[in-house]
Amino acid sequence: MALTASISTSTTASVRAGLTESKRDVKGYVFAGALLACLLLALFVLTVLMWDVIASAIPVFDKRSTGFLVNDLASSPDKAGVSQGIWGSLMIAAFVVVLAFPVGIFAGVYLEEYAKSNRLTRFIELNIRNLAGVPSVVYGILGLVVFVQGLSWLTGGRSVIAAGITLAILVLPIIIITTSEAVRAVPSGLREAGFGVGATQWEVTRDHVLPYAAPGILTGTMLAVARALGEAAPLLLIGAITGRLASLPGESIVEQLKGKFTAMPIVIYGWANEVNKPGKRTGLTFEDLNAAAIVVLLAMVLLLNGAAILLRNRFEKRRQG
Amino acid sequence: MNKSTGRLVLASIAGLSLFAAACGDDEGADEATTTEAAATTVADAPTTTAGPAIAGGEVFVTGSSTVEPIAVLVGELADEVSGGELAVTVEGPGTGDGFKKFCDGEADVSDASRKIKDEEAAVCAGTGITFIELEIGIDGITVATSPNNDAVTCLDFAALYALIGPEAEGFSNWSDAQALATELGSTSAAFPDADLVITGPGPESGTYDSFIEIAFKKIAEGRGTDPKAARNDYTQSPNDNVIVEGIEGSDSSLGWVGFAYYEAEQARMKAIEVDKGDGVCVAPTVDTIADGSYPLSRSLYMYVNEQKLAENPAIGAYVDLFLSDEGIAKVSEAGYVDIPADRLEASRATWAHANA
Repeated sequence: MALTASISTSTTASVRAGLTESKRDVKGYVFAGALLACLLLALFVLTVLMWDVIASAIPVFDKRSTGFLVNDLASSPDKAGVSQGIWGSLMIAAFVVVLAFPVGIFAGVYLEEYAKSNRLTRFIELNIRNLAGVPSVVYGILGLVVFVQGLSWLTGGRSVIAAGITLAILVLPIIIITTSEAVRAVPSGLREAGFGVGATQWEVTRDHVLPYAAPGILTGTMLAVARALGEAAPLLLIGAITGRLASLPGESIVEQLKGKFTAMPIVIYGWANEVNKPGKRTGLTFEDLNAAAIVVLLAMVLLLNGAAILLRNRFEKRRQG
Repeated sequence: MNKSTGRLVLASIAGLSLFAAACGDDEGADEATTTEAAATTVADAPTTTAGPAIAGGEVFVTGSSTVEPIAVLVGELADEVSGGELAVTVEGPGTGDGFKKFCDGEADVSDASRKIKDEEAAVCAGTGITFIELEIGIDGITVATSPNNDAVTCLDFAALYALIGPEAEGFSNWSDAQALATELGSTSAAFPDADLVITGPGPESGTYDSFIEIAFKKIAEGRGTDPKAARNDYTQSPNDNVIVEGIEGSDSSLGWVGFAYYEAEQARMKAIEVDKGDGVCVAPTVDTIADGSYPLSRSLYMYVNEQKLAENPAIGAYVDLFLSDEGIAKVSEAGYVDIPADRLEASRATWAHANA
């Protein structure tokens, strides 16, 4: 293997040398160097950022251990924790999965497999692409007016439900676009073979197109959930809580969904505004806690992405096998 | 990747969600010790809350981000003394935003770092909401610069107006403001020839309103300029830590923040003494703010919705606790200054009268 590789590279090099009359490709080297420099710069910035965050987060996990993960929002950096943020974010993510996944995937499949390719379809597709680029704060206003104020009888006002529906709508265009792109990438021979043996459109879509497109669809949907987890602007407008979130003991899940809430990005936003007075017991400040909260949020997003990659690999294996 | 790794990752995801679900009960391992410590101090202090069980229920507090830390502390106290039955949720979007929600009937209590404005009170009147106003503490607005700025130690109101007032728009060097300051009769030392880099709160903040009201209003009225505005061309942020960074970030900076932020970050900022026009320069300290000799001090308030108070006994329990000796001690614990005893008695009397 290694031998063939070295032979083929040396052949390529010698052929290239012959064709260019052994001129030195100075511009080429400069260009390649510039590309590499850009890559290194991007990696460097990311590494510094991650290092900075993780270095400030380590003392928090060290001194607070699990307390940081299981405690509620509190006045002192000795006591404050992210549990309510994690829980709120997970409830919102669940809404996105339940609402946006089916609607987005079905809409994407319809656009690619069923809709006639005419001007109207193209116009709709163009608009969905534009919607994916609309700043999230605009969706926040929509959520505030429609789901918090208009439909408060259903959502309970500034609640998880209002936030969940708003973020589901926010990621819907992304899911539709990734789904239609994944479906478009399915080789047409696969469909034609299906039709050729007398399968209906429904059978071809169900048995051939969807399984083949599943890895791509899955990647898109998981990225959409990761995006929803990280959004702060719409939640600020909808009214996530920053200071203290208290509930009566024994609250049911419905009451929780209709009640006041917070989420990881909002916890981070709120702590960034706290007085940076070190806690008496641990000596930690809210700035330190914020670094740890960022690590927790990153871990949640990475877990989701990791799950998406695993599932995708599984689907791909099934497709090959 | 093989199957067993896949299972492991999936299991850890499931674990995470279970873990989060278990977070409903807030007794974490490291909370236990602090609660214990707090419990002993509560027992030592002469409590006014000892006696009949406290009314349970939910209270929602919004309003000033300046007052938020006090309300959070009282909320935690409520949790302790009621055994979790009095659930106080607190947020701090800002005094102005707080009154919007309050007058919309969304909140039970609104904290404020200034008195309610006439137009805000009109909105409340329009929605049929009446309220009780209670003074709860004092905050000193601290005018600050970089610790490296030796040229400026004291500014009078005229100098502040010349530097930050509406007529200062475009001044990018301290010395640009000299002519205006002299014209206004400022007796502050001559401004240095250095870049003027201003960072401060924006119009959504009570700290912005109070600063302008106290330092500029008279001068602006005399000159026919907008008595409610500062110059627009400075860095505005609702985040006090961003303001602290802005003040620290330039050797010739200028800015203003709440006293609690200055107190926590004294190494990064130098407080500028303030002279209200009588030639006496006063530095912001707990004592000068409490006795009123520091000119840029303002009262902190809470507003209680009377209609909601009548329906929900938990609101009354929360305010009772706030005004008790234990509750009002949270004002200084949060970094602010206690109101003098007579004004505290006045607040308690107002509250008692409203409940009579």
